[in-house]
Amino acid sequence: MLLEIRALTKNFGGLIAVNQFSMDVAESQIVGLIGPNGAGKTTVFNLITGVIRPSAGKIIFDGKDMTGKSPNVLANAGVGRTFQLTPLFTEFTTLENVVASYYLHPRTGFWDAFFGTPAYRRNEAYALEQSLKILELVGLDKVKDELAKNLPHGYQKMLGIARALAVQPRLLMLDEPLGGMNTDEIVFTMDIMAKLRSQGMTILVIEHNMQILDLCDHVVAINFGQKIGEGSVADVRNNPEVIKAYLGEQNVA
Amino acid sequence: MSIASSMKQRRTITTAAICVVIVGVMFALPRLGLSVYFMNTLISVFIWVLVAASLRLLSLSGQGSIGHTAFMAIGAYTSAILAKFLGWSPWITMPIGVLCTMIVAFLVGIPFTRVRGIYFTMVSLFFAIAVLTVDQVFNKYTGGYSGIISIPHLFAYNKTPYYYFCLAMLVICLVIMYRLEHSRIGLTWKAVAQSYSVASSIGIDEVRQRILCLVVSACFAGIAGVFYAHYYALLTTETFSFNQGITVFVYMTVGGAGLFAGPIAGTAVLLIIPELLRDLKEYVPFVYAGILLIVLFLMPQGLAGLPAQLWRRFGPPARRKVGGAEEERKRVA
Repeated sequence: MLLEIRALTKNFGGLIAVNQFSMDVAESQIVGLIGPNGAGKTTVFNLITGVIRPSAGKIIFDGKDMTGKSPNVLANAGVGRTFQLTPLFTEFTTLENVVASYYLHPRTGFWDAFFGTPAYRRNEAYALEQSLKILELVGLDKVKDELAKNLPHGYQKMLGIARALAVQPRLLMLDEPLGGMNTDEIVFTMDIMAKLRSQGMTILVIEHNMQILDLCDHVVAINFGQKIGEGSVADVRNNPEVIKAYLGEQNVA
Repeated sequence: MSIASSMKQRRTITTAAICVVIVGVMFALPRLGLSVYFMNTLISVFIWVLVAASLRLLSLSGQGSIGHTAFMAIGAYTSAILAKFLGWSPWITMPIGVLCTMIVAFLVGIPFTRVRGIYFTMVSLFFAIAVLTVDQVFNKYTGGYSGIISIPHLFAYNKTPYYYFCLAMLVICLVIMYRLEHSRIGLTWKAVAQSYSVASSIGIDEVRQRILCLVVSACFAGIAGVFYAHYYALLTTETFSFNQGITVFVYMTVGGAGLFAGPIAGTAVLLIIPELLRDLKEYVPFVYAGILLIVLFLMPQGLAGLPAQLWRRFGPPARRKVGGAEEERKRVA
């Protein structure tokens, strides 16, 4: 297992946002985390990526305990993530967004950059070359010199994925990648996700849009901070708890 | 080569040429018969340009400071006290002063970088006040309000070597700052400034980067400080009062904080114009305020952005950009 979450709990004061939540993410799979609004999906995401600290429970990534580590440590360990509301480096161009994200691989020291040593220049050339490749993959190479803030919403979402890929993650975590996208963009994004999986990437995805289920190898459903169902797509689709969470109780007239 | 990149290259060459000419003229000025009075003004411009540029370097990482003169003060007093009371050569005490500034910046950076944005700016003000208080408490050495006087000079009582030394120092420091800004280091700082959460999601230790930026920025402020001490040979509490800290902030903002040339243009204009208008005496502050208002209302990029602004307004119409984001979107859809 690449990622193991054990009895994760988070209280905000009296509110229990996530309660005794456990799940596993196996390598080279697309795992979906679904649930209605306010179910605690994004909280789980933020707990895994270290944005907030869990009240209890464990997060084990690649066999190492990562509970309560800060986001940059997680990134260093190989977790790349996107954000739901697509915060980007808005004043950077599309290309600069990705180049700046080549911070860890290859990593340059202060003095190397200061003196512009050959090693530094090699690393920068490599970062630029790889960034262009990533932009080509996500179809943003045509807008590489546009400021990120001027991109249409769907492109900003794709740029978020491009940036996460620059971290060279072993686990890619996508927070509502399809949110606000049009039909073409949804198809395109799902194609990219499938392509990444075929290259061996592990993806954990939060989504409202049920189209994503076509792609998932494993689905975990969550409501009120608790896991209400888990398994294959068919299992979860037929799970009465899940149906209840999405459609409400059946009315007995 | 595409049109855009060849235009960019031409612009880079033009900018470089302008820089060389300006630096050349500045170096030639004393030979062309510069009055001692005006030489003095220019030296003070050089010093404050360095401070304003170091402040802009700090702002790259999203940290605004209105107490930046405090770092100047630490360098200046350290070097002055060592040179005066221990009789060390200024050439030794000056690097020590700069080093002390960096150490202090590192130590205060650890708690200060826990807050961001406007809160950091507030803390910077408290820091400036604290430094001044320390200055008054240890008035046996610092002289407090009456100041520390007859600090050993660097050169004999001729201003010309100071002029050359200060100009050379400024040019070197500016080149280093420019290179830093346009390297991966500057890119990382700018990333941190735009979004700390995104920055940390790509593996940047944002607190560490902000401390680093503070230390590097304080280093340049310290250099300006030690030079100040040995040039004027006089340091008082007034020199580094927090009024002065705000003034430096104004230099940077009026010049244009977004542009490298901003603090240079801002400091030069705001320091030299009052000197040229000395005959107006008490009306000088009105002129000063007038400049501030004109810049704030009419020049969003600051003084340094004025040439580009005029070019856009009166130059040839811009070529329409091909392949913009919207067009591309249509093509895909």
